[in-house]
Amino acid sequence: MSLLSLEGVSRVYATRRGLFGKPVPVRAVDHVSFSVAPGRTLGIVGESGCGKSTTGRVALGIERPSEGTVTFEGATMPMPGTPEWRRMRARLQLVHQDPLGAMDRRLTVAAQVAEPLEIHGIGDETERRDRVAALLRDVGLRADLAQRHPHELSGGQRQRAVLARALATDPALLVADEPVSALDVSIQAQVINMLTDLQAARGIAMLFISHDLKVVRQVSHEVAVMYLGRIVEQGDPEAIFADPLHPYSRALVSAIPVPGPRRIERIVLSGDPPNPADRPSGCAFHPRCPLAVSACRAEVPQLKMAADGRQVACHLVEAA
Amino acid sequence: MTEPLVSIRDLRVAFHGLPALRGIDLDVAPGEAVGLVGESGCGKSVTWLAALGLLPGTATVTGSVKLQGQELLHAAPSVLDRVRGGRIAMIFQDPASALNPVKKVGVQVAEALRLHRGLEGSAAEAEVLRLFDQVGIPDAKRRIHIYPHEMSGGQNQRVMIAMALAGQPELLVADEPTTALDATIQAQILDLLRRLQQETGMALVLISHDLGVVAEMCRRVCVMYAGRVVEESPSDELFSHPRHPYTKGLLAALPDMVGPRRRLEAIPGGVPEPWNMPPGCAFAPRCDRATPECGAGLPGFVPVGPAHQAACIHVQPATVPA
Repeated sequence: MSLLSLEGVSRVYATRRGLFGKPVPVRAVDHVSFSVAPGRTLGIVGESGCGKSTTGRVALGIERPSEGTVTFEGATMPMPGTPEWRRMRARLQLVHQDPLGAMDRRLTVAAQVAEPLEIHGIGDETERRDRVAALLRDVGLRADLAQRHPHELSGGQRQRAVLARALATDPALLVADEPVSALDVSIQAQVINMLTDLQAARGIAMLFISHDLKVVRQVSHEVAVMYLGRIVEQGDPEAIFADPLHPYSRALVSAIPVPGPRRIERIVLSGDPPNPADRPSGCAFHPRCPLAVSACRAEVPQLKMAADGRQVACHLVEAA
Repeated sequence: MTEPLVSIRDLRVAFHGLPALRGIDLDVAPGEAVGLVGESGCGKSVTWLAALGLLPGTATVTGSVKLQGQELLHAAPSVLDRVRGGRIAMIFQDPASALNPVKKVGVQVAEALRLHRGLEGSAAEAEVLRLFDQVGIPDAKRRIHIYPHEMSGGQNQRVMIAMALAGQPELLVADEPTTALDATIQAQILDLLRRLQQETGMALVLISHDLGVVAEMCRRVCVMYAGRVVEESPSDELFSHPRHPYTKGLLAALPDMVGPRRRLEAIPGGVPEPWNMPPGCAFAPRCDRATPECGAGLPGFVPVGPAHQAACIHVQPATVPA
């Protein structure tokens, strides 16, 4: 059974062109469906503005979908601000890129990790203190760091503290939005290993959002590639990164600089990703696609099952 | 070896008495592409900021930086003004904050042309159009009249590159030029830098934390750690046969794109703080091969292969003379 599922979810914002311009609807997320099982990780990759973070916010219930439904633990996501929503928030937690921005600079690490326990009324004071100590141990922070303030910690230590806080309420799902992007390679590896260890020990499900394909491949059981609000390819990470089928995934994978010999010939796309407020007709990728045919300009390709069971939204990929 | 274009010797930088750069030796030959890799705070950017006299007055800089025999360290402002942007140009990670937000991009590039090549009026405009064309900005005639905020990050970086090329530099120092850009745009900019280097014959110093970017762009790579170069090698050799334990650790910590997934080998601990530098090898506290001798003194370079050296007392020197 799935823990979290999104069914045909869209998120539309209204923006204005200029001061007196007419409001233009922007579909930041467009007909996205997926589900995440307990203890599993779905990785979402894509470039800036592709809607991956908005998808994460909708999955967390921080934003309401404009269309479609979000189901968590078998129930529809309640309205933000309601008591049911508050209760559910303890089960869903967010970790994002900038740990310093996510922490209160005036509070000690221990006080911040204890805060969710106080808010959700978990345990008495001694229990909370023990729990905070255990959480800090789980994320590999020395006990003496508990009384430090965020600015006294390194970037890696701060991200560990943020994780300890996110884990305090024993969540079933963690939405990790670029959690290691601001960290140096050697520290990044420490945090990635810790995340996968914690997942194995606690059975947490993860929505892992990142622009870094190598990191996503490392942590994910399933991967979704997004382009301009839509999922264009979804399936097994080994298959997608070794042999991407969608022309956009292919360009994205080929663009990753790797030390050592290259396996896939580099495809350099022309132009920038289009403005979501000015979405190209048909397949949104067609103006940059080296393979586009006339059907691509006319018709939006739907996700369909390809030969090895993965989903691809491209007119040129044969359905199984 | 041909006479180096830039020759850095024992360059040291300290901020408020705390060492940031602890003795760098580096040569850049005309037309070559050299990569500097390392993690935050290892001194890879400070090296070039110091070399070009761009550090604030609180920094103490010693050593020598020579541009074809001419000393640049503590040189007169009139000398540096001709070198910076003229013979050595630099581009940075964040093009949006390096550009002036209230000036049209064409005007900003024209300013560089006036300063370094004395071009004015229609001659300058024609050259701006040519430069925009060279760096792949489409519709240049219209684009020279717009402001940085009207362009994407990738296009702004192209403007920065056009501005850097305006002085016809012999060396371009690119400090994390694609770090703020998306993967497909990064590929475009790296392609552009490679093409420009071929077309103009300028040397390129690429500063990056991304081993992959450096591997693809540079023939030679220097790995830096805690203010020193710890390994220097031809790039193929570095990635196939890393010798310094830190370089090995960095490569093992990087997730793969192909092959079976394995648990990452993280390097334990963190980079030492400048006020808490261990004696001897700065990497020793994190190194699995460390012995008490590592703390005895700064390890010198050991030649381990042709044009390949590592600063570690535990590496085996090359048996065949290079």
